Amino acid sequence: MIVAVLWTLVAGCGGTSTPEQATNTPNTPTTRGTIGYSALTLTNPFFQEISANMREAAADAGYELLEVSADSDVKKQADQIDDFIVRGVSAIILNPADSQSIGPAIQKANAAGIPVFTNDIAYAGDAGQVISHIATDNLQGGRLAGEAMLELVGETGGKIAILNFPQVESCQLRVKGFLEIVDAHNTSGRGGRIEIVATLDGGGARDKGHDAARDAVQSNPDLAAIFAINDPSALGAYAALEAAGKHDQIKLIGFDGQTIGKQAIRDGKIYCDPIQFPDQIGKRTIEIVLQYFRGDEVPKEVLIPTKLYRQTDAAADPSLK
Amino acid sequence: MASQQDSRISGETEKRAAALRYSRWLQPFVRDYGMLFVLLGLIGLFSILTYTEQHPTGSDAGQQVARQIFQQQGAAARVLIVGRPTEEDVAFTTALADELRQLGATVLSVINGDPAAARGAILELSESGQQPTALAVNDVSSRWSVFAQFPTTRELPSFKPQSYYWPNFLKRSNLMGVANQTAVYAIIAIGMTLVILTGGIDLSVGSLVALASVVSALFLRDYQGGAAAGVSSVIGATLLGIVTCMVVGGFNGVMITMFRLPPFIVTLGVMLMASGLAFRLAAGASIPELPRAYFWLGGGTVSGIPNPILMMVLLYAVAYVLMSRTVFGRYVYAIGSNPEAARLSGVPITPCLIGVYMISGCLAGLGGIVLSSMLQAGDPKFGLMYELEVIASVVVGGTSLAGGRGKVLGTLIGAFIIAVIKNGMNLTNIDPFNQKIVLGAVLLIAVWLDTLKRGRWNTKSIR
Repeated sequence: MIVAVLWTLVAGCGGTSTPEQATNTPNTPTTRGTIGYSALTLTNPFFQEISANMREAAADAGYELLEVSADSDVKKQADQIDDFIVRGVSAIILNPADSQSIGPAIQKANAAGIPVFTNDIAYAGDAGQVISHIATDNLQGGRLAGEAMLELVGETGGKIAILNFPQVESCQLRVKGFLEIVDAHNTSGRGGRIEIVATLDGGGARDKGHDAARDAVQSNPDLAAIFAINDPSALGAYAALEAAGKHDQIKLIGFDGQTIGKQAIRDGKIYCDPIQFPDQIGKRTIEIVLQYFRGDEVPKEVLIPTKLYRQTDAAADPSLK
Repeated sequence: MASQQDSRISGETEKRAAALRYSRWLQPFVRDYGMLFVLLGLIGLFSILTYTEQHPTGSDAGQQVARQIFQQQGAAARVLIVGRPTEEDVAFTTALADELRQLGATVLSVINGDPAAARGAILELSESGQQPTALAVNDVSSRWSVFAQFPTTRELPSFKPQSYYWPNFLKRSNLMGVANQTAVYAIIAIGMTLVILTGGIDLSVGSLVALASVVSALFLRDYQGGAAAGVSSVIGATLLGIVTCMVVGGFNGVMITMFRLPPFIVTLGVMLMASGLAFRLAAGASIPELPRAYFWLGGGTVSGIPNPILMMVLLYAVAYVLMSRTVFGRYVYAIGSNPEAARLSGVPITPCLIGVYMISGCLAGLGGIVLSSMLQAGDPKFGLMYELEVIASVVVGGTSLAGGRGKVLGTLIGAFIIAVIKNGMNLTNIDPFNQKIVLGAVLLIAVWLDTLKRGRWNTKSIR
């Protein structure tokens, strides 16, 4: 161990006195550099897919992608950004673990002259500068979910519940889009009135979704449908409905289109999902980064629309075979 | 014959004296701070692993590039200079341009901006029909693909500063960063060391971090005018946050001593309550409406050294004196090694334990203030799982979970071991999942080494 320390000191001293030979290179370096990516969490398949697609697209363009996981901890993410700055990455991409508190870290990257891009989750402060944000059009997705809800209960009317996740802005937008459609339907006076009897925090997770749905069913046994803002909470809700014996009566609409969600749609557990395209988010993000380095105009925001995914789509989906 | 024997005897006594000297000075040092060698070994390891090419920028690099261009092209050189708008790059381009002009060469354009700004300048040059003969860049701007888009710059010889080799890990900015990142954990770990030395545990520190950040941020936002609040309000908010956590720590102590509840359960309950309270007070959202003065404690520097580092050093110095030079320190060790004996010899156990938990709460509160000042917001989500991080630092630093044995400075070393491993793994691009496995293994190895070491010395001293 001591040898190792000495080795370092020797190596360190040597380092300063052996500069690399003159660099009169042509304009195309062999590797263009590295891009740092701090994911919200790499345990979620959604971010894994974004990450994998970015890695591939970056490699095609001659960049290496350095992936780290913030595990939803903003301090950890700020530390990771520090590390990226030390390593001298060409660009930083991140899913802010907190839309506000990540500001100082973005400022540091700005001061070090490293362009910052976000995807999926936006930075909401004004201290730091983000070149561009690439995400699902969650408002449009929420509207699609609302339209799907009209297919279910638009004619007859009925009671519905929403499992939201108010801490996360993208989920707020989904609910907002959903409510726009439902409210418009109610004011139009066509069909039956849709009554939202409960809006509960499903935590975006299976366990909390389960508990919230169980309580919603307890207090409203005649519930007709539930809109859950993502697949894990929708599946948690399904488990609660099944336990209460209500899974035939109460229809579920989810969001995301993760594999588990698609399987549930195929099996008829979830009616349908507005699905996101994490692969496109990943690819578009790298495209935008490259565009930036080419000196082209870069849009402040790129929104990728969702698509409604139904049982018929699932039946034809090769990824579920 | 006799003299030979004498010399042999004196040789042996010398050896024995040396052994005695070793046992008197070195052995306790190795026992208490043996982890220091592990830390040094890790620093060595990561220095080797992160030994990479470094690309200078700044004014020296600028002058060097200017001379390089002049050597090759002479006064006929017509140069396009491109850097980013950062302080260092501006120094680079300015020095480069000044030196070139002094040497008599022509500077066509100096750009400090993003690739789009470079594009604009290149278009301008080609419109006005000016053809540069050289492109002066640093490593970062040399990688921009914008130059390959235009005939004006595509075939241009480009010049950039000479690179050199140095470990990324040993860069000043990285070492400062590691120390700064560790400071919050290390500060909280002082209190945790005291608690664990008494044979207890404090699981509430993570939630107290969140509570302190929320209480002080809310106080500033709702009662002191938010971003417009003055320095005295900031001091008041800081104290309020810390005192709140000290009171909660005192509550822990009272429940443990007077109601005789196990520390694990008491602090687990308080952890949930404090977290719930923080979420409730903040209505689940972060509170960014804070004055600039509030950001000084965690974000400011004194003579170039970040405040959290200074605070950490100061607090460890105080804690060292407290634990090794005061009656209170001896009481803490006494309670941890044998509470019954401590009670019989007249140690005031109840006030001591309450005091220890108050210190722990107080330092967790301070950690929360520093963190929220660093991240420029109060947030009930702060401090998640910090209790485990902090306990790991204490244990890696050689403090026994059974109480009574350990050193405060060992905890500082433990905190740095964990921070260096995390930072080193990030710098060497180790997969995030593997990072967790490595950290867990390090924790186990550290504790195992520690028991091995203690076991050997203990049997020796018995003999």
